[in-house]
Amino acid sequence: MNWVEVEFQGQKYRVPAMKYQGRLWFHWQGETHVLELSTGARAKSGDKSSRQPGVIVAPMPGKITRVAVKKGEAVTQGQPLIVMEAMKMEYTLEADRDGKVEEVSAQTGAQVALGQILVRVGEK
Amino acid sequence: MAGRRKIEKVAIANRGEVAVRIIRACQELGLKTVLLHSSPDTATIAYRLADETVCIGEAPSSASYLNIEANVQGALGAGADAIHPGFGFLSENADFAEAVENAGMVFVGPTPENIRLFGDKITAKAHVEAHGGPTIPGYRGKDQSLATLTEECERIGYPVICKAAAGGGGRGLKVIRDSKSAADLIASAQREAQSAFGSSIVFLEKYLDDAKHIEVQVFGDHSGHVFGLFERECSVQRRHQKIIEEALSPSLDEKMRNEICKTAVDLTAKAKYRGAGTVEFLLQGGKFYFMEVNTRLQVEHPVTELVMGVDLVKAQLLTAMGQPLAWPKIFQPRGHSIECRLYAENAYQGGIPSTGKLLATHWPHAPGRRFEVGFDPGDEITSFYDPMIAKIIVWDETRIRAIQKMKQTLRETVIFGVRTNIPLLQEILSHKDFVTGKMTTRFFETNFSKGVEAPSFSASENKMIQNLSARVSEGSAGGDNGTGPSEGNPWSFTWGRT
Repeated sequence: MNWVEVEFQGQKYRVPAMKYQGRLWFHWQGETHVLELSTGARAKSGDKSSRQPGVIVAPMPGKITRVAVKKGEAVTQGQPLIVMEAMKMEYTLEADRDGKVEEVSAQTGAQVALGQILVRVGEK
Repeated sequence: MAGRRKIEKVAIANRGEVAVRIIRACQELGLKTVLLHSSPDTATIAYRLADETVCIGEAPSSASYLNIEANVQGALGAGADAIHPGFGFLSENADFAEAVENAGMVFVGPTPENIRLFGDKITAKAHVEAHGGPTIPGYRGKDQSLATLTEECERIGYPVICKAAAGGGGRGLKVIRDSKSAADLIASAQREAQSAFGSSIVFLEKYLDDAKHIEVQVFGDHSGHVFGLFERECSVQRRHQKIIEEALSPSLDEKMRNEICKTAVDLTAKAKYRGAGTVEFLLQGGKFYFMEVNTRLQVEHPVTELVMGVDLVKAQLLTAMGQPLAWPKIFQPRGHSIECRLYAENAYQGGIPSTGKLLATHWPHAPGRRFEVGFDPGDEITSFYDPMIAKIIVWDETRIRAIQKMKQTLRETVIFGVRTNIPLLQEILSHKDFVTGKMTTRFFETNFSKGVEAPSFSASENKMIQNLSARVSEGSAGGDNGTGPSEGNPWSFTWGRT
């Protein structure tokens, strides 16, 4: 971490900043920010791939504790699909649209990686 | 426990910031320390600080931090004569306390009987009822079938809370609001309870959904005297995990304070309680109800330490050795203390966990600011354990001053590498219901369930950021932790003659 001197609206500021693996970390006006260097956009946690509708991925590394749907099942938006556990808490992953379950690649008890595809929900 | 017991070397069966806290207390008392750790936990402050370290198993808690045999054998092998369990993990496991004592070591904590009585929430309530304490209506039966449990929900009347009999904290705890979701939520609570505590037994209670969480710190010394160290308020909770705690509570008048503290001391003294313990109550409609006793040190113990002027970890160690405490007969609390738990999570994405390597930290030390930290730059925050990276505790003369101090401290705190909940903490500390002390356990859900909005930058800020970006070079996870070479560090160079 360096303290970098920058000018803003005629005043000098010393800003803690660091670049690491394609991201810029800096602390500005009492808050820490992370930007993607490639786009300048605020970096997101969790799955780094772009989100596709109907593709349910693990938003963090963890363990699948329950698979609530089967292939071929019709689901509605907001319906619980997968329950996973990470950092000792349960998270429920829900369908992001109405449709039919095309693929279930998650298995109860399995450890999954960040961004791993768990369920595909096809269009209605 | 009768008489004095010699302790020269203490094994710490924990990790993170509490392991650091215990190691330092031991070292100040002239005791040697052995850290019992899991295989990935070598890149931690506790690992570097301990006099000795023993790896007791693989990353999953069940293979290491929750494994009684591995902890006992690890401590024995290193020649430890006592084990401090910290909080969480095996700290409230009576079988562990017994195994430690049976192996000829001292368990730094309550007696196995204390843990058994209060650790099982069902026998704990029976004890409280037997002594005329106030409890909440519910179901605490042996029949754990889904059919019986859902039927009992109907009888108690919604909302109903479902809790793990063996656990403390928020794990395995669900709020059930209607018959439709009852079976699913109970099953989920049973799974979480099994995974976190190794027992799927749950109980049901009428849910007091607009209550304040008030807890009293008690301490039983070597002679059997139980001290009451006043209360803390921990009403700011998300999914029943505490986020901000303070001492004392802004919600009690003198009469209520005396009553609640006396109740806590009486209930624990009747059980011949030894060591540090916390009696938790819910306060709703001007009445308080017993919730549970946590038979261990609490995460939020520092706020009590700061207003009471005590060291609870040293008190635990001294009591384990059968030594008296240098505490006054009557305690007089001073000023106000607040603790914020720093979680590795993305505040702008609804609190989703943010794991990864810590790249840089800046803890802005100043009078009245205390930082309890478990990890340094270069260390990894993994998904195996609790996402808490540190605790920040402040003390000031009044509650308002303490809030101001906490906000300023958080403004100056820099953490690169993982996202934190600091933006969320700031909003909570500024919320009028928190500032006025009116918050209840519903406060978080009502006001912050949608998360925190990420700020946007103005055109001139964006220009500044571009300028900044052009002048920052690629860094590396700094830190003197011996986990690898610090390539790319602009500060690593060799002195030479000119």
